[in-house]
Amino acid sequence: MSPISETRFVAQRELRKNFRSAKGIVLLVLSLLGGTAVTLLLAWVEQLKRDKMPDLTPEAMHAAREDAMTRAFGDPATGKLLADTPEVLLLVFFITIWLTPLLISLLGFDNVSGDMQHKTVRYWTLRTRRSSYMIGKWLGLWTTVSAITLTMHAVIWVVCIVRGEAPAATAISWGLRLWVITLPISAVWCGISTLVSSIFKTPILALLATFAAFFVLWVIFLIGLRWNIDALTYAYPNTFDGFLINKRIDRWMTGLAACIGMTALYVGASSFMFTKRDL
Amino acid sequence: MSDETTTAKETPASAPPPAAPEPAVAAPAPAPAPAIKSDAPPMSNPYAKDAAPPEGAIFVAEGAKKRKKKPVEVAIRLTKVTKRFGPKTAVDGVTLKVRAGSVYGLIGPNGAGKTTTFSMMAGFLQPTEGVLEVLGYSPMQVDELRSRIGVLPQDALLPGNDKVGEFLVHMAQLQDIPADRREESAREVLAEVDGRDWWNVKCGSLSHGMAKRVQLAQALIGDPEVVLLDEPTAGLDPRVAYEVRQLIKSRKGRCTLIVSSHNLQELEEICDGAAILDRGRVVASGSMSELTASSEEIRIKLSPGPSPISLIRDLPMVKRVEWDEERRELVVYFERGQGVDAEQVIGAVLWVLLQNQARISGVSKGRGLEQRVMELTD
Repeated sequence: MSPISETRFVAQRELRKNFRSAKGIVLLVLSLLGGTAVTLLLAWVEQLKRDKMPDLTPEAMHAAREDAMTRAFGDPATGKLLADTPEVLLLVFFITIWLTPLLISLLGFDNVSGDMQHKTVRYWTLRTRRSSYMIGKWLGLWTTVSAITLTMHAVIWVVCIVRGEAPAATAISWGLRLWVITLPISAVWCGISTLVSSIFKTPILALLATFAAFFVLWVIFLIGLRWNIDALTYAYPNTFDGFLINKRIDRWMTGLAACIGMTALYVGASSFMFTKRDL
Repeated sequence: MSDETTTAKETPASAPPPAAPEPAVAAPAPAPAPAIKSDAPPMSNPYAKDAAPPEGAIFVAEGAKKRKKKPVEVAIRLTKVTKRFGPKTAVDGVTLKVRAGSVYGLIGPNGAGKTTTFSMMAGFLQPTEGVLEVLGYSPMQVDELRSRIGVLPQDALLPGNDKVGEFLVHMAQLQDIPADRREESAREVLAEVDGRDWWNVKCGSLSHGMAKRVQLAQALIGDPEVVLLDEPTAGLDPRVAYEVRQLIKSRKGRCTLIVSSHNLQELEEICDGAAILDRGRVVASGSMSELTASSEEIRIKLSPGPSPISLIRDLPMVKRVEWDEERRELVVYFERGQGVDAEQVIGAVLWVLLQNQARISGVSKGRGLEQRVMELTD
């Protein structure tokens, strides 16, 4: 059997397990509720703006958003592009980028550690290469997280269309594009979570260590931002949202390559350590 | 069967004389008889010198997709295998060979290194030193051993949220059993462990005994050539333990079975050969008759009454006689070979005893595995 088949079987089982577990279902429901709440909140803010600032024309709003996005991403072309995006979808995109690590840490902390705690992993390592098992675990987690975020985004597209904030074609095309951009970034977070989970045999320790690892990366990012040390900011996966959303192909390719490289690094490290360790 | 040991304590009862052609190989036992009668179908002792390679020496895992396989006579080979955990040496230079088709026991007290040795055979632990081969491959070569090795780990919990059926089907899937045979194979092994009704039961809801049998089922799925069973009856009630023993016996001759257990009576009953471990070293190994000396001595318990020891000493085939007055146990040592076997000696000795009105309360061949283990281990 090829390693690809092994990985596929492990990932499929992981996906099934995640969506059947109480934890997976609760996180899916919370994500949907959170997404819907944000959409409704934004709609209320939009209504408030219209009521309180009747003189603000759509053109002026567009210009203000373009300006804000240009400042945020440091690129006028990107600013212009994002100014055309339905506001709700853009907000949900940023929420997804920033809250996905939390979702991943809660879903993935016992991904491997749970199997190692009571040596359940032994049933798998007899039948699959350890690297296939580890990649399958990562892939299963990533697919689960991607499915949850897609469901959340889809709910918001529907709300957006129903409320008449954007035509269906615009909402879906922008929605899909923004969701796809979250995928490489969540892949890196899943890689980190899988690595941490594979180090610990006690799930609660793995959870705390995952939180700690994510927090440390965020602190490194803040230090990099404060003192303009780009190399430090690149350690934080969310940094690459600006690359992946960019209209320039070279920036987009750089962001994608960085995410793939970081994912490969974390999953490779976890596979290597898992292959060498006693179970 | 040859069964080599590298030991610090040189204690094997059946160690060959210095002039023997294969000094590291345990001496052959002529026409060895099982120490305990069992219901298992009769089979040749693969540890006997003249034993032909078992018919099933080159097995093909049923249901698994065909692949090229090395023909093997030795299913498992350990060469000077050592395992250290930090400063602690759990297994120290163990050398063993297990012939294909045999049932082999790993025996020893707690902390002897049985489970560590077993875990290295299964690829869960990696040896610190030495070479370990299963069917000619390193246990870490999963692709080569897929579907050829089944393992019942001692303390590995089943995934609690999986249903028994889907867990077994998933195991079959990973063993490369064709899609159209997976469910059938899973149902077959589940039926074999008497668990037909558990297909839709979650593994987390199974009792200890049921879980053990499902674990056994996953070890047997796909009819593997080598099955490693770590404490297969530990914690089971007597009835379930008996059923598991019967199941293991039913597999005799179909595959190589390695059984690690504290239950010496169980091992004596089902194993052809064994290695006794103590403090990480093999202190004795060989066929069961060699270990229990069942082809060299007989033990007779007498009730109070006459005990004609001198008459027994005079029997021509008797080498030496020991009499324990307190336990009223007579131990008769004899030279095997030249037409003399344990059964003949028993017949002759009992004849003398009965002629002299001795009251016989028990007869056994050899000293029993339990006594042997007690002698060899601290």
